Parts: sequence; C-alpha cells; structure tokens
Amino acid sequence: MTEINTPPEPPEAKTIEIPETARTLPSGEREFMLDVSTSDLEVNMGPQHPATHGVMRILIRTDGEVVTGGQVHLGYLHRCAEKIGENVEWLQYLPYTDRYDYLSAMNNNLGYSLAVEAVMGVEIPRRATLLRTICAELNRIGSHLIAFGTYGLDIGAFTPFFYCFREREWMMALFEKICGARLTYSYIRIGGVFNDAPVGWLKEVERFCDVFEEKWQEYYDLLVVNHIFVQRTAKIGVITPEMAVDYGLTGPMLRGSGIDFDLRRDMPYMAYGEISKAGVYDVPLGRGEKGELGDCWDRVYVRVQEMMESIKIIRWCLGCIEDGPVIGDIPKVLKVPPGEAYVGIENPRGELGHYVASDGGKVAKRCRVRGPSFCNVAVLEKLLPGTFLADSVAIIGSTDVVIGETDR
Amino acid sequence: MPILQNSFEENVLTTKVDWLLNWARLSSIWPMTFGLACCAIEMMAVGAAHHDIDRFGAGAFRATPRQADLMIVAGTVNFKMGERVKRLYDQMPSPKYVIAMGACATGGGPYYKYGYTVMKGVDRIVPVDVYIAGCPPRPEALLEGLMKLQDKIRNTSVIRKPSRTA
Amino acid sequence: MKDFDEIYQRLEAIKAPGLLSADRPREGDPEDKTDKGRAGEAFVLIEPAAAKEFLIAVRDDAELAFDILADLTATDPDTEDENFWLNLHLLSLGHGHRLAIKAMVPKADPVVPSMVDAHMAAHFHERECAEMFGITFEGNPDPRNILLPDDWEGHPLRKDYEFPKEYHGISCE
Repeated sequence: MTEINTPPEPPEAKTIEIPETARTLPSGEREFMLDVSTSDLEVNMGPQHPATHGVMRILIRTDGEVVTGGQVHLGYLHRCAEKIGENVEWLQYLPYTDRYDYLSAMNNNLGYSLAVEAVMGVEIPRRATLLRTICAELNRIGSHLIAFGTYGLDIGAFTPFFYCFREREWMMALFEKICGARLTYSYIRIGGVFNDAPVGWLKEVERFCDVFEEKWQEYYDLLVVNHIFVQRTAKIGVITPEMAVDYGLTGPMLRGSGIDFDLRRDMPYMAYGEISKAGVYDVPLGRGEKGELGDCWDRVYVRVQEMMESIKIIRWCLGCIEDGPVIGDIPKVLKVPPGEAYVGIENPRGELGHYVASDGGKVAKRCRVRGPSFCNVAVLEKLLPGTFLADSVAIIGSTDVVIGETDR
Repeated sequence: MPILQNSFEENVLTTKVDWLLNWARLSSIWPMTFGLACCAIEMMAVGAAHHDIDRFGAGAFRATPRQADLMIVAGTVNFKMGERVKRLYDQMPSPKYVIAMGACATGGGPYYKYGYTVMKGVDRIVPVDVYIAGCPPRPEALLEGLMKLQDKIRNTSVIRKPSRTA
Repeated sequence: MKDFDEIYQRLEAIKAPGLLSADRPREGDPEDKTDKGRAGEAFVLIEPAAAKEFLIAVRDDAELAFDILADLTATDPDTEDENFWLNLHLLSLGHGHRLAIKAMVPKADPVVPSMVDAHMAAHFHERECAEMFGITFEGNPDPRNILLPDDWEGHPLRKDYEFPKEYHGISCE
C-alpha cells in the first residue's frame, strides 16, 4: 500500500548544454534543444489578410517564430494605369490618377497636373495655387490619419482607429463641399482647380484646424507614447540611412532614418517655395528616441508630427488667399506640345513621380507613374529576415504601403 | 439542416419557424475583410463610428472565410486576384452571400475598356446577390445594399418548400 | 542646386562612361512645318551597355552625388520606331537636383546589363520593365514577373500589343 501512495521520484535535473553554434534570437535569448529536427515552414501572408494594407502577398519562410526569409509578391491590384494613359485623352486620365493612391487622391491629381503643365508651360492663377496647397495638405492629414489608425489596428489597438475616422469624416465632408466626392476627387485639374471654394468653406477649414490641434494631442497620448505601442515598435525594422538611400526610399521612410530631405522644402513646387522661405513649418525627423534610429516608432513619429506641420501650412495659406480665377486658359480639347517632363512631388508616402511624354496629340505617348509604395515595399525583403513573426506585422504596417500605388 | 431544408409544406408553424431562422440570419451577417482597393476605405468608414454597421449586426468583420457569411467584394478584381477570390468563396460555409461593391466589382468600372488584366465584374467567377453602384459608393449606399440583402434573406424559405410564385 | 547645363558640364569633366549627348528643349523651326520643336525638360543620352557604370560614376562623384534612383522605366515611342527608350531619373539628396537620362535600346535585341549593383532600388523597377516591354536585364537577381500573372502572354506596354480575348477560360471582353 505504501508503494502506491508515495509519489514517484522526480527525474534527475539535466543541465541543458547550449552549443557554441546556437543562434541568438532577436529577443536576446540563445536557442537550445538543437537536437530536435525542424524544417522551415513557408507561410503565405495574404493576399487576403487583415494586416497587409491591401492585396499584397508575402511568402514568409519561418523557422519556428523566427522569420528567415520574406518574398514580396505584387500584382493583385494591377489595373493597367499606364496603358490606359496611352489610350485616353489628357483630361480623361485624371480620374485614373485618383485611384492609384486612393488615400491621397488630391496629391496624385496634383502630380499629374504638374507634369502636364511642365510640358505645356502654362501659368496657374494664384488662388488656384493656394487652393491646391490647402487641399493637398488636408489630404496629407487624412492619409496619415488612416496610416496611423490602421497601424494601431494591426498592432491590436482598436480605439485610435475610431478616433482617426472621426476627424477623417470631417475632412471628407469638407472635400465633398468643394468638389462633390469623398474619396476620389479629380479636383485638381490641368491649369488650376475644377471649382472655386463655396462660401464659408475657408472658414470651416480654419475651424477644422483649430479642433484638430486639440485632437492631435489625444492621438499622441493615446498611441504614440503608449508603453505597449513603444515596446512593440521600437528597435524593430531598423532601416539604416545607407539602406534607405540604396533602396531609393523617400518620404517618412527616409526621414524616419534621420535623413533631412523633403521635396516640398528642398525642391519646391507651387507655393511651397514661399512657404519654406517664410519658415512656416519644420520637417520632422526620426531621432531614435525610443530605440534605434530608423525603427518603426521613428516612422510613426514622423507621420504624426507631419500632421501638425500640415496644419501650419494650411493656416498660412488661409492667411494669404485672395479672390481670383481658379483655372488658367486651357482649351476644352487639350493638345500638349511634343516634349517630355518628369515631376516628383511629396506624397504622404514619398516621392510620387509622373513622367509624361507627348508627341503633340490628344493622347499621351507615355504616362509613367513612379509610385512611392512600389519602391518602399522592396525594402521588406531586407528587413523581414531575422525578426519574430509577430514583429513582421509591425514592420509591414510601418512602411505604410498602399497597394493601389504599388500595382497601379 | 439538409434533411429539414425545403421539406415541409407551407403552414403557420413552418412560416413562423422560417421567420425566426431568417431573422436570426439577417441580424448577424458577419462579413469577411475583403477590401481590395478604394472601396475598401469606404467599407472601413462604414465600420467606423460615423456610419456604424454594427447596428445592423454586421459589425464583426472576420478575417477568415471559414467564419464569415458575407463577402463584400470591395474593389477591382483582376485575373491574378480572381483565382484567390474563387478559392475564398469556396472556403466559406453556406449560407453565404456576396455583395459586389462599387463599379469595378459590378462590371469592371473605369477599367472596362483598356484594362487588360481587369476582370469585368466579379460575377464572372462568383454568384453575386447585391450590386452596389458608385465609384466609390457612399457608406450609406453600402448600408442600403446590406439592407437589400437582409430583405432577400427575409424572403428565403428555409424549411418550407419554395413557393411557386416566389 | 545646379541646373542642367552645369550638371552636363560636370558629366563631361568627369568623363562619365557611356555619355553621348544632351537634348535640350527647343523652339520649333518656323520654316519647317513638321518640326514643332520640343517642350518640357532636358535629358542626357547614354549608351545602354554602359548604364550601370554611368550610374556608379554619378553616384560616387561628390559634386553630382546622385544617390537616389527615382525611376527606371522604358517607353515604346512608336510601332515603326526601331528603339525602345530606357528612361532613368536620378535625384540627389545632398544637392537637391535631378537628372533625366535616356538610352536607346534596339527592339531587335533588347538586352541591358542590370543596374542592381549601382542601386538596389533598380531591382523591382527592372522586373516591371522586363515584363511590360520584354527588355532583358542581365544579372537581375530575380527576373520573374512582378505585376502580371506568371503565365501572361505578351508585353502589354508595347504599342503593338493586342488585348487578350480570354484568360483561363474567363472572357476579357
């Protein structure tokens, strides 16, 4: 009887020997139990996935929790924008420009219009320039709000997403008043803008700026300096300045690594030359405050600060806007003289370039779109290996990729 | 359910049971997160607080097709993605519904003429229940489409035999 | 910030490999009705075979410092034209100037050495250019299709491309 009731002897404690060749994991621990045979698992992330920001597929090869390789597969939203550009007339192409980076449609319209105007050499009226600047900056705020809100959603924070959409609904209502559409505007046309602002619109934009400045502090306190968010994004996905330049990154991806370059200030277009000379706004840079320079937190910090800087630009434009015509002297059926031009503007994601070539007809010869997300997403193949699987979601979200622009 | 489905004559009892089943189904349609392009942003706006889709019971967006009832195809479908759309549709358990949101999913949209890889409408690969026009449709339009789908579900006969006049 | 003439002078001074000429915008000839001139921006013409060395030279030179490859693409000017244009656009972060480069790639033998060693950004751009035009970039680490499906036939951005009638049994009309 006593034999049944006595508990068995505990096994002898074995010391686990960690061999010299064991890897050090990203968290700092050493690997052990190397005699267990494992094989790499190839997992598809996407194209339908809640956290890939659209239809992108990333083929991830994992060894347990550690990602050993990541291949980016694009093309699930390829909509032949460049071929369409060679088949429809100049002004008919404008709605297609809205749809590649659908979060910042005003900036896309602006890039295309500036490229065609560079070939045509047409003069834009002053009121049109300022209205274009106000709309582009408002759209930048809206785009960064979605980038920020959905990044929180990827990490697991549901509340900032709803807060961001509250401001975004107001911004979309403002745009609906001026051009009739909530998302794909086709407002900034070749030669100026489509419509003058209705009565009271500029006052409402000023009220939006006042309210937004208070709400911005809410976003900052809620997510950006949140302890859990910082732990999940700091020291992750570090892009060194050399890597950023080699991969051709632009926009917040470049500024998050500390490189001080903003197309609005350094290669100005439209009213940004005077705005930069007047010292209206600063260019926020990543400084590695919470971790390493160029990590995911730095990029989020740059985007959130840029929202405040856009408010300053909008206020300056509101201060000096006057009445006047809103569109230059453009014929109804546009014929652009033969020539070509490349114009790059500062999209919320980076440098959006349009290369337009004309042979004097009603239709373009070449309408090339250089989408910033197409270039930014290439760096994922370098960043993903060596991280944990849970961190790969944070890294992909921090690139702020919009698949409409990647695939065009 | 397959044994009971469509096997009873129409009478007061089966009508009430059908009403109850249909009410349960239409009040809890769980969509799948299937935003492809610009319409996805309007779908996110519908899910946000201003135009709340949760008050229709459809607020629980499931990431996996195995747990979803509704696939809102929001955005352009091209050939590369179309194979995946079909596979996801096949993975959903029935009863399942599809809403084609936006001009691109309905009939190719603005890419109708010169889009060589664009599928001219998602109904070439999956059967669609409701089409919503717009580019992108307003969030209120998506909610109306959802309500039309709810009307369709309300009139389904689950355990009754399908009536000849319906 | 330099303008185009200063950049071109510097390119000639450092004897950039493959440099052929510069093409500036000009007015049309009033005598000749068919010559409408050329508007827009200036560009530099180079040899396609020396493109990689050219990029490395302008990247490493301190006064030019073109360290970002903004764009790498091609153009099919016309069905009758016997060349593709290979368009490159460079950007300098330090000096804030741009350079537009063009190279004529013959359609009969569209092979160009890959520029991935000069800028890693060229990798995805070359893959897209290859599938859209049929230009082969020798030395690209992963020359598969990037935007089009893997079994797509034809090169869409060529001017003589015929739109397909169906794909895998689904009609394209």
